[in-house]
Amino acid sequence: MGTQSRSLIAAAAVSGGLVAVLAGIGACTVATSHPPMPAPAPQPEPSSSGVVYQPPDQELWVIAKPTEEMTVVMDAIETDQIFTATLQQGRSAYEAEALSHGGATARATAAELEVSDLDLLGAGAMVASFPPGAEFRRPRFIPLPLKHTGVEAVIRGYISTVGVKQRFENPFDTKIEAVYLFPLPEKAAVSEFLMVIGERTIRGIVREKEEAAQIYRQARAQGYRASLLVQRRPNVFEQKVANIEPGKSIDVDITYFHTLAYKDGWYSFVFPTVVGPRYNPPDHADPLGAVSRGSNGADPAAVEYLTPNERSGHDISIRLDIDAGVGIEELKSTHEVAVTRPTRTTAEVALKNETTVPNRDFVLDFRVAGETMKSTLLAYKDPETGDGFFTLMLIPPRQATAVARQPLELVFVIDASGSMRGRPLQQAKEAVATALDRLGEDDTFQIIRFSENASQFGPVPVPATARNLGAARGYLSSLQSGGGTEMIQGIKAALDFPHDSSRLRFVSFLTDGYIGNEVEILAAIQQRIGASRIFSFGVGSSVNRYLLERMATVGRGVVAYLGLNDSARTVMDGFLDRISRPVLADIKIDWGAMTVSSVYPSALPDLFVGRPLVLTGAFTGQATRIGISGLAAGERQTLAVALDKNTTAGSTLAKVWARSRIAELADRQAWSGDPGGELREAIANTALRHQLVSNYTSFVAVDSLMRTAGDHGVTVHQAVPVPDGVRYDTTVQ
Amino acid sequence: MRSVQALLLAALLALSSAAAQDARFVPVEIFLDSAQPVAAWQFELVDRNGRMTVVGVENGASKAFTGAPYYDRPATQAGEVERIVVADYTLADAPELPTGRTRIATVHLMIVGEADFEVTLVTATTADGQQIDASISLLLASFD
Repeated sequence: MGTQSRSLIAAAAVSGGLVAVLAGIGACTVATSHPPMPAPAPQPEPSSSGVVYQPPDQELWVIAKPTEEMTVVMDAIETDQIFTATLQQGRSAYEAEALSHGGATARATAAELEVSDLDLLGAGAMVASFPPGAEFRRPRFIPLPLKHTGVEAVIRGYISTVGVKQRFENPFDTKIEAVYLFPLPEKAAVSEFLMVIGERTIRGIVREKEEAAQIYRQARAQGYRASLLVQRRPNVFEQKVANIEPGKSIDVDITYFHTLAYKDGWYSFVFPTVVGPRYNPPDHADPLGAVSRGSNGADPAAVEYLTPNERSGHDISIRLDIDAGVGIEELKSTHEVAVTRPTRTTAEVALKNETTVPNRDFVLDFRVAGETMKSTLLAYKDPETGDGFFTLMLIPPRQATAVARQPLELVFVIDASGSMRGRPLQQAKEAVATALDRLGEDDTFQIIRFSENASQFGPVPVPATARNLGAARGYLSSLQSGGGTEMIQGIKAALDFPHDSSRLRFVSFLTDGYIGNEVEILAAIQQRIGASRIFSFGVGSSVNRYLLERMATVGRGVVAYLGLNDSARTVMDGFLDRISRPVLADIKIDWGAMTVSSVYPSALPDLFVGRPLVLTGAFTGQATRIGISGLAAGERQTLAVALDKNTTAGSTLAKVWARSRIAELADRQAWSGDPGGELREAIANTALRHQLVSNYTSFVAVDSLMRTAGDHGVTVHQAVPVPDGVRYDTTVQ
Repeated sequence: MRSVQALLLAALLALSSAAAQDARFVPVEIFLDSAQPVAAWQFELVDRNGRMTVVGVENGASKAFTGAPYYDRPATQAGEVERIVVADYTLADAPELPTGRTRIATVHLMIVGEADFEVTLVTATTADGQQIDASISLLLASFD
């Protein structure tokens, strides 16, 4: 270590048995956007004296430019969790603080910055001290083909067009096929697929799934560069890139559309970065397994995961170009972002630290001026075919009065499987405890836990008396996590008992949704839902949003998300405020001069304050103005919605409609079994017509200009980190 | 043919292979020849034997056309097809637009058996939308 690095001293105080590895050269992953770092200094063996790196002067050092921000990655041995924090330059100190998800706190502070060091770019020093007996594991770099993911989103109103560039490089000395399982938002309509080789761009073709796979296999076997994009789940995709030669790279560019979620004045843009490790019930026909890196031979369809002390070097950039059409009052994100505001209605947002470990959803929320929000009708007619498509965002009228709260029968279903261990289960418990505090004397409740089996607080829902609530809190605190995620057991326990017709039954699932049998779950809900409403509650940093959204849709309820660092009390309070008082029920729509068909969702849910309803459909005739009516506090209220003639959404509306149609047809397929195959055909035809990826259609692209030498080489599965807050040892086989 | 000004150059080529039933991958390069700068074009590629399966559509040589061209729906149909229509346009300034003989696209195909290609220029226009005289031709870029 040079003298310059010793002059910047940082200290890390760690409590609660958490081991903090200050990311740095060779040590692990310090993220800087700086000139190339010098070669790493020799690293000593782990020390049990309480100091991670113990050169003679007892400093753990990292190479970093002191004038800019840098990210520290802390690897908690006890909980196998990885945390990132950004060191901010202060007047005389750098400081970083990260709350661990296991309850421990890690804190790193850099002090004694000498002014002269500012000229020494690439220099810095840091000291870490740890409790006696702390264990140190040095993260290990694993060469893998996925080098970079670049996300460019253009948001106009509530419709987002997102381009995703995946760069695959071959770091090996032999030809490879790269295989990468990755998530996209659950409503993503993937409609464009390009394979880019140098300056050549080859547009992929949508084909029926089996045909696309056959073309890809043929091309791969004959040595042609080819790529294949397959939908494994509505929010999980598999990318294959064949015949990447040593040292060469191939980019795959994907474009998708989706509508943004809106809640209480906030639009939410979500980009998931990693597929959570799924539990698959025995004998499940289409599993999506979770295996350790390099063990995919036994299960080629599984996601490979890096161990907690492995890093792949895959980085990510995210940029958003937002024009909300109305004033943007506030923005917030799960990640540190740089924001510029060209105008009152626009914003440009960029992820600051592009070397952040991609192990949790990127969420960017922006709040728009509440008074200006109104229901909107967007419409588009295909100039060639004359086919019309529309999207209606129905925002509850402000004058609508909340209906009186009816007595509730609240059923909480808590996922206590292994993936919920630690902070996720703790958050779920706090959320339920908050809900218990809100129950009235006329309400009843039940608490059900499930993992590989289900158990419950009482044989039947019990009145919310002080005694019962006290006992329930004790039951809640006793819940432990472990085992698989047999959600079907939880659904049976929650819905398979007689309904008390004097109360509204709300079933609230609190889960990360890490299961592989989503279709069975949705079918089970559909079969049992009756008069119940389902309110799904996603708990974690990278939850299975597809499952949670569809559960709520099938259950005519709404979904909410509880991040690991969110206040469970605040989120649950707000959630209960909304769900217990629908403002508009029994909604009817007068479509005016439009003749509509295939409107999704086909079963209109109630309307809750702050929760708009988004409908999409096909139409003929003229889109001008429509009328909405619904029951509010027992009286029928009406409102008119006019066509927004200034929309730039255009043909995107057709793809948004097609994606919604596919989702609903897939739901129907799940619970009907589709014995005649009509639904399968309808899905495939819709996807082909609108050039979308679906369960039955895939994109394939082949570069037939040149054959690479030799056979197709080795298949390398891109291993990914487990999501932030999820334990590797309880979820990965 | 819809464009009266477009010049048709039919290229009839028969592909054969020793292993006629094995799938082969063939790039078909499409060239446009125009004395005026071209801002938009559309062509139809026909395999009279109906043995081609489209597996990719690649950009041409002009940097004015930045992305890959677009194709029409028959390209996505299952199995082999007889024809596809490919088109592209650019908003680039006139000095950047291609003139002379320019490769405008490469259509990547999978073929089983013999193919018999014909390419027809549907339309080519200037930046202000005027149709222009142009000729189109194809070249099978390589054989294995």
